Amino acid sequence: MIANIIGAVPTSPLISTLLLDIGLLTLLVMVAFAIVRMRSLFAIVMLQGVYSLVAAAWFVTLDAVDVAFTEAAVGAGVSTVLMLAAMLLADRESTPVPMSRQWGPLAVVLIAGMAMLYAVPDLPSYGDANSPANSYVGTDYLARTAVEIDVPNVVTAVLASYRGYDTFGEVVVIFAAGLGVLLLLGLDGNAGRFRAQVMGRKLSDTSAPTGSTDKTASTSQRRKSSGGGGGKSSLGAPPSITRYEGGAS
Amino acid sequence: MDWLSTHAVAFAIVLPLLMAAVVAMLPNVKRLAWLVALLVAVFVAVAASVVLQTQAGLGEIIYEMGGWEPPYGISLRIDALNAPILLLIAAMAVATLIYAEPAVASEVEGRRSGPFYAAFLLCVAGLMGMVVTGDAFNVFVFLEVSSISTYTLVAMGANRDRRALSAAFNYLILGSIGATFFVIGVGFLYAETGTLNMEDMRSILANLDGGSRVAQVAFGFIVVGLGLKLAMFPLHTWLPGAYAYSPTLVTAFLASTATKAALYLLYRFCFTVFDPSFDYVAAVLTYIVTGLAVTGMIFCSLQALFQTDARRTLAFSSVAQVGYMLLGIGILTVAGLAGGYLHLINHAVVKGGLFLALGAMWYRFGITRISDMAGLSKTMPITTAAFTVLAFSLIGVPFTAGFVSKVALAEAAAAKGWWWAVGVIMVTSILALFYMGRMMMVAYFRDPPTVDGVAWKRNEAPALMLIPIVGLAILSILIGMRGNVFLTDIAENAAWVMLPGSGL
Amino acid sequence: MNHDPHVLLRVIAKFLIPLIALFAFYVQFHGDFGPGGGFQAGVILAASIILYSLIFGLENAKQAFPPILIRIGMSLGVLLYGGTGVVAWMQGGEFLNYSVLAHDAIHGQHWGILAVELGVFCTVTSVMIAIFYAFGSRQPQTSEEDW
Repeated sequence: MIANIIGAVPTSPLISTLLLDIGLLTLLVMVAFAIVRMRSLFAIVMLQGVYSLVAAAWFVTLDAVDVAFTEAAVGAGVSTVLMLAAMLLADRESTPVPMSRQWGPLAVVLIAGMAMLYAVPDLPSYGDANSPANSYVGTDYLARTAVEIDVPNVVTAVLASYRGYDTFGEVVVIFAAGLGVLLLLGLDGNAGRFRAQVMGRKLSDTSAPTGSTDKTASTSQRRKSSGGGGGKSSLGAPPSITRYEGGAS
Repeated sequence: MDWLSTHAVAFAIVLPLLMAAVVAMLPNVKRLAWLVALLVAVFVAVAASVVLQTQAGLGEIIYEMGGWEPPYGISLRIDALNAPILLLIAAMAVATLIYAEPAVASEVEGRRSGPFYAAFLLCVAGLMGMVVTGDAFNVFVFLEVSSISTYTLVAMGANRDRRALSAAFNYLILGSIGATFFVIGVGFLYAETGTLNMEDMRSILANLDGGSRVAQVAFGFIVVGLGLKLAMFPLHTWLPGAYAYSPTLVTAFLASTATKAALYLLYRFCFTVFDPSFDYVAAVLTYIVTGLAVTGMIFCSLQALFQTDARRTLAFSSVAQVGYMLLGIGILTVAGLAGGYLHLINHAVVKGGLFLALGAMWYRFGITRISDMAGLSKTMPITTAAFTVLAFSLIGVPFTAGFVSKVALAEAAAAKGWWWAVGVIMVTSILALFYMGRMMMVAYFRDPPTVDGVAWKRNEAPALMLIPIVGLAILSILIGMRGNVFLTDIAENAAWVMLPGSGL
Repeated sequence: MNHDPHVLLRVIAKFLIPLIALFAFYVQFHGDFGPGGGFQAGVILAASIILYSLIFGLENAKQAFPPILIRIGMSLGVLLYGGTGVVAWMQGGEFLNYSVLAHDAIHGQHWGILAVELGVFCTVTSVMIAIFYAFGSRQPQTSEEDW
């Protein structure tokens, strides 16, 4: 699509997209600054959605439609909703961070930014067809896909077949995220109530803050009465009888 | 068998990934998930040893995923550098999974044990995937697989101690920053070389004579990113919390493998993608990495001395030990690299065993603080004996694993003329004597606490816990006594991969 | 129901949700020809269920798309993707070598890509909904003023 538009303006094909790019990048920077400056988490989540949408638009001008589509669907779509859901569990306002704690991160960001700027003079110029990234493996994929895989969308061919092992890894990453949610939150929101039990004699309560007091009391009773193996068996037993029953095993 | 020798590499990665999906679906039958996970780990260990053997015969194995030849598809590449680490990770997975049955029963809710083991298998597969791959972006993918599952596993420690949640969050943030830095570095490398295959990158960079500023910046980002993952000294802040509060078996597995896999990647990128003959690589390794290594060794050994929590002590000690391995890189000779590599393997065995033993102590008596270890020599004699052996190994007492690698490192440093480094190794070993000695003193010379006037009775850890703990202790002695027979060869072969025509 | 303040929202959502789901399947099966694929399709389908849940409540959504289905779907996607690779193994190729899946390489590639994209779709949909359910289930119903 964009290519057609550019084709229609033969006099200065690069300038028009260049202006668009600069405009979109400026917007991205502005949104990013706004996100950093904001306190209201709701506004931050919304602005992150905006950021993704602008980024998606920018990817379109870079002719990376697949990336743009993903960014729009994931960044602007689902993750905004998920962030909202997460935000509702937390505060609505972020607590201000004292300036003294911000120097470190600022230094890291500045150094990383300067390192990237240091590399800029030696980077291939924008859209250079002879740059290593454009001329080596990338071009070969274009030629080979038609012969070896015969799918019109080369991106799909690369993702699903040439680099299918990577995509498998990505699916596993998402699966791992799902497992994490399952383990830490539970699909019914019921995880995190379990307390680990010492299968012998608990020496002393650690200084760790635990959950509500009545819960700790009941688990410590369970701890006292559970010797050797099981641990589950003695829920009903009166706690005073078995103080310590773990023998050598 | 023939099939296995060609496909063993892929089998070792794919089996735990697929079985993780199966384990997550298993019905909540007692011990079923554990049994399946353990079987998977055993199969993986068998596959890893087949890989090691095949590699010893062939020198190099390349497995083309999807049947696409290297620069186009992703290839797994095994040489003398990563085959031993693959086996190390698989073996530690078996050891921790044997230990896991009683530990998970006490620390994880019954109906979540399936997903828990699934996450553990993903972590194992992720680490192994990072180690075997020959593709720079694929490293990132498997780094994420192992990281995401690790964050979850660390947070599961909240069942024991709520501080696990903030520790996991801390690790999540720093780990993600590390992964981002790494992927930025890979991006710059792609801009410079136009390929993601490491072997390809190496030859292109060598042709470019180290490449332009882009390659330099890429190197910087990759070193910092991996530095975060391997807990290089000032970037180690996530580690003590994560090790202290995660479930006991997770700590043992992470301490013995996660930082090691990241360190392997540092080896891979510093020596076989980039080359120490490039000025900037040599400068970073000699001045920055060595400097940080030595500072970390001293500073974190001192910090370990002042901890009250036993697992935090060992965690700081881990950062110090990473310093030894980095020092091996900084020396930049075959002997130094071999010493560091040997220390990597030894430390994995020793620290894994120590954390397992501490886990058993928690399992029986809820012990986390050093002062609570009183009288353990009487209440848990076998565990304490194994703990002692492993502690000696960590200190570097003769005839233990730690001695072999520390001597190898010191010799390499001396051969380079770095006498100050020899001094640092000795000083930090003495510090290790003090911080491990504190635990020993409490365990041996204090009486067990009394409850209602009755002293604690002997209450040894269950057999499933004792098997890996004692096994690792024996292994550390075996390495100490016979280490120069097999492990030194492995380490030297690995070092020759890193510095092939070593003029350095 | 007489004083339902969200009647407009409900009506429009009822109209939109099937369209969004349909679009997800279009994206899924059109991935070979245009932008899209399993990942995007999974996210879009999940978005339609999340929208349903936002409008009609979490409990209704859980009846339409029960949590047990999510747990199975999550694993199933990984198994489908990896299973494709395993089948390639059994046919004598490398892991994920789709060329050996059918009588000729190109058809094999097509079959392989179709199968793995379905795997991606399955896992992504399930996990996205799982994350939403997990967050959504932990909070009490948000009142109108809370927004």
